[in-house]
Amino acid sequence: MTNSNREVFLDKIATKAGRTRHQLKNHPFVPINDLPESTLAGKSQDELLELAQKNSEAVHVTFEKTNRISLSTLLNDFLSAKDINNLILPTCDKWAAFGLSDWENKLADSAEFWTPESSRTENLAKVNAADGAIGFADYLLAESGTITVATTPGQGRGFHFLPTHYLSIIPKSHILSRSRQAMHKYEAAIASGKLTTSNINFITGPSNSGDIEMVLVVGVHGPLDMTYVVVEDL
Amino acid sequence: MTISTSDKPFLTRVKESENDHFMQQSVAKAQDAQWDKRTAAREELGNWEQWRDLGEQIRQHVIKYLPDYLEQFSDNVEKKGGHVFFAQTDEQAVNYIKKIAKEKKAHRIVKSKSMVTTEINLDKALLSLPETSLMETDLAEFILQEDNWDEPTHIVFPTLHKNRDQIQKVFNKLGYSGSNDPEEMAKFARKYLREYFMQADLGITGCNFAIADNGMINLVTNEGNADLTMAIPKTQIVVMGMERIVPSLKEAEVLDNMLSRSAVGQKLTSYCSFSGPQVSGESDGPTDFHVVILDNGRSNALGTDFEPVLQCIRCGACLNVCPIYRHIGGHGYGSIYPGPIGAVLSPVLDGYEKFGDLPFASSLCAACTETCPVRIPLHQLLIKHRKVMMDKLKMDHSFNNVLMKGAGVATSSPILFKIALEGAHMGSAPLSKSKETSVDNLFNYGHIEKAPSLASGWTDVRDLARPPKHSDDFRSWYKKHKKEQQEGASHD
Repeated sequence: MTNSNREVFLDKIATKAGRTRHQLKNHPFVPINDLPESTLAGKSQDELLELAQKNSEAVHVTFEKTNRISLSTLLNDFLSAKDINNLILPTCDKWAAFGLSDWENKLADSAEFWTPESSRTENLAKVNAADGAIGFADYLLAESGTITVATTPGQGRGFHFLPTHYLSIIPKSHILSRSRQAMHKYEAAIASGKLTTSNINFITGPSNSGDIEMVLVVGVHGPLDMTYVVVEDL
Repeated sequence: MTISTSDKPFLTRVKESENDHFMQQSVAKAQDAQWDKRTAAREELGNWEQWRDLGEQIRQHVIKYLPDYLEQFSDNVEKKGGHVFFAQTDEQAVNYIKKIAKEKKAHRIVKSKSMVTTEINLDKALLSLPETSLMETDLAEFILQEDNWDEPTHIVFPTLHKNRDQIQKVFNKLGYSGSNDPEEMAKFARKYLREYFMQADLGITGCNFAIADNGMINLVTNEGNADLTMAIPKTQIVVMGMERIVPSLKEAEVLDNMLSRSAVGQKLTSYCSFSGPQVSGESDGPTDFHVVILDNGRSNALGTDFEPVLQCIRCGACLNVCPIYRHIGGHGYGSIYPGPIGAVLSPVLDGYEKFGDLPFASSLCAACTETCPVRIPLHQLLIKHRKVMMDKLKMDHSFNNVLMKGAGVATSSPILFKIALEGAHMGSAPLSKSKETSVDNLFNYGHIEKAPSLASGWTDVRDLARPPKHSDDFRSWYKKHKKEQQEGASHD
């Protein structure tokens, strides 16, 4: 045990509380109701898609629906519309699954990639210089218009926060009703060893602030705008 | 302990706040806007009272088993390669953080908004280190820092008391030449802070919730600066109040939902992140990860009537409904924790001598209790503070206390009370003086100028009339008078 001051600290607060330590194993937390599970339960994937669109647009997200065939065209339109000259992409094995292998290969020379082989300084410099990022989300939460992303060697933390414009690709089958369902997925993936990560981000629209006279300013430290692209895969 | 934001007396602070008309208008506007947003967000979620039951249950459970959850959390942080330091005082916390900063030779420090680091006055302590610069990166905290470390006025909207012209002047000192448009000023801050971020070697964050069963910390923000603070520097220090813990990601998710709705009327804030030290293969995030768990007076609440204050999730909803906060703003309270939660928490953390006025800065309307997402009985705790202050600080614990109890027994017993009345005139004889009745002396039976013990409180400032003879006192007169009336009526 490296924190030698821990026992003194914990004994002191147990004494002050008048309660004995190490009782938790006999009294685990059992929730008083199942609202996190039952809220928005039982909706079809089409209903979740409709809800996700409504709630994403409410938080200033540009919401697109497409299929594998049209996806590359939509991405090119995004690059043109935002006038993106320094694009950054993740290193991952999802390109083929979305029919984007050719599209990615064509950009191999002109775009930067967040790569596992690059150092912290190199990856952060690339992503800081990027005026656009196109990445993959793990899930989209219908209730709040939230994408979730776990940090991986090919798609680091800074990837989601430093570029000016940001587009996230989500398969329709990965739309979940709420954050509770996402937590179940992540807890299961971590427990089974399928996911090893230091960081999970729930991102709900572009960064914003109301710190100056409560006037909503969209785009403070993170991306100035967000686009979600839901791809039909069912 | 530096939760105090002013050396001025409470009534002086209130007077100054009353004269700050911009602040009052801003607070009123914010309260009204947040009322609409908060109410709508809660209604859309549905079953809000049942969600409150769940939120309260989670918070009460972790406080009940706090040592066990903190132990579990620290074990899991260390399993991930992080370090945990338990600080009983602000001084211990600051010294540890300064030690890490020195060991890491940190020269450029970035911070994201954290009330607990304000509580321990961390910024100024770190700036005392040689060749060290520090930047608050939350837009509001950045404005306060650049405005000569002005004090926050709200736990969620720290610059609520400043208008756009004041902020423009602050930015002008940094080279800004644009207008007072909030968007233009925010873009300037983005560029200014981004350059600083990219060279930062130490990041300091707070912690909304620590996840006991996996050692991650959870941050709930809107701007993205906290995530940059956790991504770019190689070293991260997390500072958390010891009560900010939950069993697992699931309970964090519940509270994030309730916090976002209660604080800003959003379903989730822009960024809810769950984070720990970098793992193998990743290239950003902290390779050196420290968590400082702070008591600093919080344990004063444990095992007392004030324990529910530790349930707080710092949403600020109680500030946003409080009629007193609406009039005196954050600075009126003189604590970094203002509003109803501050009026309960500040005396717990730092005593009644400094913050004994705050429990009286309340109309006891209970709006705070009604809105609290985790059901802290705030107005009842304010009353409790008043009782404690009266009992512990003002009550006379001398022999007078015994006499008062005796008086209580005598006056509650008809027999004893009657005996006392009958003997009062004779009993007071040794102390009494008689004078001829005049304009200055209306005491028909004499008076007492110097009474012993309890009654001296009266005779110190005025004469005490000697009780009349029993045959002349009111009860005897009334009995006699009533009998005469009845006899007169029967003769008619």
